[in-house]
Amino acid sequence: MIGRTLRWLLFLLTVLLLNLPVIVTVLTSLKTDADINASPPVWLFAPTLAHYRAVLDDPTLDFPRYLANSTVIAGGGTLLALALAVPAAYGMVRSGAGARLVLPLMVNLRAVPLVVFAIPFYLMYQVLGLLDTRLGLALIACIINLPLSLLIAVNAIAELPLEIEDAARVDGARTRVILARIVLPLARPMLISAGILGFITAWNEFLFGLILSTRNAVPVTVAATFFTTSFGVRWGDTAAAMVLSMAPPMVLGLVAARGIGSALTTGAVKG
Amino acid sequence: MPAPRVIRRREGWLLIAPLAAFLVLWLGFPFLTDVVYSVSQVGFTTLRQPRLSGFGHYAAVLRDAAFWHAMGFSFRYAAVETVVQVAAGLALAVALAPILSRHRFLLAFILLPLMIAPALNGLMYRLMLNDFVGIIPAYLGMLSLSPDLLSTGWVFVTVAAIDAVQNTPFTVLLVLAALQAIPGELRDAARVDGASAWQEFRRVVLPLLLPVLGIAGLVRFIDSFRVFDHIYVLTGGGPGNETTGISIYIYKAFFQQQQLGLAVAASMILLLLSLAALSLLMHRSLRGAVA
Amino acid sequence: MSVRLAARGLAFAAAACLTLAAGRARADVTLLFWPGPESQAMQKVIDAFNAGPGKTDGFAVKQLLFSRTGYFDKELADLAAGSKDFDLALVTTYTLGRYVPFLSPVGDYVSAAAQQAYAPAALDSLKSDGALYGVPTDISVHFLYYRTDLIDRLLKDAAWQKEYAAIAKARLGETMTPKPPADWHWDDYVATSLFFTKSLNQASPVRYGTVLQLKNLIFNVMLWDDTLVADGGNWLTAAGKPEIDSAPTMKAVRTYLTIIQDHATPPGSIDYEFPEANQAFGSGQVATMLQWNAAYAIVNDPKQMPMTAGHVGIAPMPAGPAGHKTHLHSLGIGLNKASTHKQQAGMFLTYLATEPAMEIYAKAGGTPPMPAVLQGMAATHPDFALVAKEAAQDGYVIRGGTASTAMAIYTLLAEKLSAIWSGQVFPADGLKSVQQGMASVLKP
Repeated sequence: MIGRTLRWLLFLLTVLLLNLPVIVTVLTSLKTDADINASPPVWLFAPTLAHYRAVLDDPTLDFPRYLANSTVIAGGGTLLALALAVPAAYGMVRSGAGARLVLPLMVNLRAVPLVVFAIPFYLMYQVLGLLDTRLGLALIACIINLPLSLLIAVNAIAELPLEIEDAARVDGARTRVILARIVLPLARPMLISAGILGFITAWNEFLFGLILSTRNAVPVTVAATFFTTSFGVRWGDTAAAMVLSMAPPMVLGLVAARGIGSALTTGAVKG
Repeated sequence: MPAPRVIRRREGWLLIAPLAAFLVLWLGFPFLTDVVYSVSQVGFTTLRQPRLSGFGHYAAVLRDAAFWHAMGFSFRYAAVETVVQVAAGLALAVALAPILSRHRFLLAFILLPLMIAPALNGLMYRLMLNDFVGIIPAYLGMLSLSPDLLSTGWVFVTVAAIDAVQNTPFTVLLVLAALQAIPGELRDAARVDGASAWQEFRRVVLPLLLPVLGIAGLVRFIDSFRVFDHIYVLTGGGPGNETTGISIYIYKAFFQQQQLGLAVAASMILLLLSLAALSLLMHRSLRGAVA
Repeated sequence: MSVRLAARGLAFAAAACLTLAAGRARADVTLLFWPGPESQAMQKVIDAFNAGPGKTDGFAVKQLLFSRTGYFDKELADLAAGSKDFDLALVTTYTLGRYVPFLSPVGDYVSAAAQQAYAPAALDSLKSDGALYGVPTDISVHFLYYRTDLIDRLLKDAAWQKEYAAIAKARLGETMTPKPPADWHWDDYVATSLFFTKSLNQASPVRYGTVLQLKNLIFNVMLWDDTLVADGGNWLTAAGKPEIDSAPTMKAVRTYLTIIQDHATPPGSIDYEFPEANQAFGSGQVATMLQWNAAYAIVNDPKQMPMTAGHVGIAPMPAGPAGHKTHLHSLGIGLNKASTHKQQAGMFLTYLATEPAMEIYAKAGGTPPMPAVLQGMAATHPDFALVAKEAAQDGYVIRGGTASTAMAIYTLLAEKLSAIWSGQVFPADGLKSVQQGMASVLKP
C-alpha cells in the first residue's frame, strides 16, 4: 500500500519535473504580454487566448498546413525507415550478412553533424525538383531515422526465440511470411518504440526544414520560430505555436503507448 | 551465444539490398560532394566549381586548437549525458512500470518533453532562466540560492541538465518496451525460488535489459556528442567558446566563416574517428546478436 | 519479397507526400523577407504599390516570409544555388558582402534626386566597392536609454549627488558630478550605473545601474563597437589592416569590464541579447540601458512593460574622445541576379525609393532612412527625431563592415569578447587572438 502510494508520488514528481518546460510553455501561451514580462513571474493570471488567435489568424501564416507538412514528413520518413530497416535487420541477424560493415556505417550516419550535408542536398534537390516538397523532406527524415530504426530492429530480432520460426520453416513458410506473421508481432513493442522515437526526431528536425523548404513544405518547427523577430521574441505567440505543434505527436504518443502495452496481452506468442 | 544463422547469406544480402540501394541513391551524391569539398578551395560562389587543393583543410583542422576544444566539450558532454540519462531512465522505467503497464495512456505524459523541438526548448529556457521574469531564478531565489546559471562554471551543468530533462524519456520508453518483452515465467520462476525483489531484478531483469541499455546509451552518446540546437539558441556556444561543441564549431565554420572546406574536413575526421570507435564497440557489444 | 515490402512502404510514403502537396499561385514579383514588424510595414507599402503603379503595369508584388532564425544561412544557400524562387530579397549591412556575388546592383533604379532623400550613411551602409546593392528601407542605430524619474531626481537631489560623487571617487578615482544623459561621456555612464547598483549603494531604488548584452552573438559586438569607435578605435586601419589590438580597444574593454566586475549589470547578462535586456529594463529594476532604437516602442509600451512605460528617456550613446558614436546599419531590398523579372522588380525598387512609399512604411511601424520622413513624424514618435539626428551626425559603418569577411570578423569578436566578459581569458590575450584571427580572415 505504502509502496503504491510512493510509486504514484514518484510518478507525479517525475511528470512535473520532466514537463517543467512544457508547463511553462502552456502557461506562457495563455498570458498577456504584461503578465509574461511580470517580475517576479506570476502563476495566477487571467488567461487569454489572444496568442492562439494571433497565430491562427495571421494572414501570412498557415498553421494547419505546417502541421500537415510535419505530419506527412515525419510520418512518411518514419514508416519508410522502418520498412527498409526491419527486413535488413532480419537479414543481418539471421544470416550474419553485413553486420560488420553496414551496421556501424549506418549508426555512424547519426554521429555526423548534418549541416555539412545541407548544401549538397540543396544542389541535388534543385536538379531533382525536390526542393520545398514534402517528399524531399520525408526522404531526409528517413535517412535521419534509419540508424536508430535499424539498431532497434537488429536488437529486437536478435532477442526473439528461434523455435517458432523454425516450426514455421519446417511447415514450409517463406521468409516474407515469417517476417509478417512472426517477427513483426513479436518485435512489436520495440518497433513501435522505434517508430515513436523516429517520428519525434523527425518532427523536431530543424536545419533541413529551414534550408530545403520555402513555402509549400515548411514544417511546424520552422514556423514556430516565425515569432522571433528583430524586435525580440514574441514569447506568447511562440509558446502558442509550440503548444499547437506538440499536439500531433502527443496524440501519436497516446495511441502508440497502447500498442506497446498491448504486447503484454498477446501472451500466446511469448517465448 | 552467437545467434544461429538460419537463412543463407545470399538471402540475407537480398533483405539488406533495398536499404543499401536507398542509401547509395540518396547519400551517394551528397557524400561524394563533401569528399570533394574537403580537399578543395570552395566557397559559396564556387559551390559548383570547387578547385582541388589537397589535404590542407585536414591539416588545418587537426592543428586547430578550437577543433580539439570542441571535441573535448562534446566528449565530456556526451559522457555525462549518457550516464545520467541511462541511469535515470532505467530507474524511472523500472520504478514506474507497474503504474504504466496498468494505465498505458500515462506514458504519454512521460514522453511529452520529447515533443518539444530542442531549438524551441532552448528558446523557452531563455525565458525561464531570465533574471527578472524567469521562474527558475525566482524559485532558487526563494531558497536563497542565486547561482549564476549561465556563467562560466555553471553553464555546463545548466545546458546538460536541460538536455537530461528533455531526453531521459527516450531511455524510459526503450526500457519499458524491453520490460514488456521479458517473459513473465522467468520472473515467476525467480519468485518461486524465494528471490527478493532486488535479487529478481539483479539476476533476471537486468541481464535481459542490457542490450537495450546498450542501445540507449549508444544513441544518447551519439546524439549528445553532436548536440546543437538548444545550446546554440541559449548560449551561442558561449560564454567565449565554453559550450562550443563539435556541431557548433562546424556550423560556424560552414555558414559564418564560410570555410566550407574546413567544415567538411572536420566532419570527415569526425566520421572516421566515430567509425573506428563504433566498429570496435559494436563488434564487441553486438557479437552475441549478429556476428 | 523484402523488396516488395520496402516498395510498398515507399509507395505509401510517396503517395502521402504527394496527396497533400499543392502548389500555390506564384506572384509576379516575389520579395524574400523575414517575419516581424519590418515585413508587416513592408506589406502596407506593397499593398499601395499593387493598388497603384503595379496595377497600371499589370503585375503584383508578393512577400515570401522566411524564419529569422537561420535566415541569413538560408538566403545564402538560395542565392548561391541560383534560386529563382524570389526576385527581391532583404539584405543587411552586415551580410551584404556575402550576398554581393549573387546580386545585381540597384543604383540605376534610384535616381540621383531620390538619393538626396536618404541619410548618406544609410546609402553607404548598403554599398560594396562603391555600387549600391540594396535600396535602404529600414535603419537601426543605438540609443542610451534611461529612467527619467530616476535621472531627474539624481539631477536635483543633493544627498544623491553626494553619494554619486563618493562612489565615483571610490570606484573610478575621479571627481564627478551628475550630468544630463545627452551630455554623458562613457565615464558618466559608468558612474551613474554604479550609483544605481544596489550592492554598491543601499539607497538605490533599483537593483542594477544598467544592463549590458554580453552573449556570444554578433549583434552584441555591434553595440560594443560604439564604445570602441567613440574611444577612437576601429576594426581596421584606413589601409585595411587589423587594428583591434590597440589602446582604444583596451579602453573600451575596460569600460565594459568595470560594469561587469562591479555587478552593475544583472548576473545573467553574459547570455543576454535584445529581448532579455528589454525584459531587465522593463522589470523596473534597471536604471539605464545601451540598446537598439527599436526597443523604444517596447519598453515604453504600457501593454508590454507597464513598469517603465512613460518613464523612458533616450539620448545619444555616451561620448568618447571621438564624440558620440552609434553603429548604423540598414535593412534594404536587393535584386537577385538570377531573377527572371528584373524589369518589374526594378519598378518596385524605384517606387520604394520615394518619400511617399517610405511614409507609408513609417506609419506602419518601420523606421525609414529618410530624415525628412522621420522628422515629419517626430510629434507622435519621439524616437524618430533622435534616429534622424543620430543617423545624420553620429552614425558610422565600421571599417570592413560591409565586406564579405564582415560576418567572419563579427563571429570571431563575438566569441572572444564573450570570453573576456566571462573571465575566461585576459583582455590582452583575447585581443591579441582577435588580431591574429582577423589577419587570417582577411588573408586573400
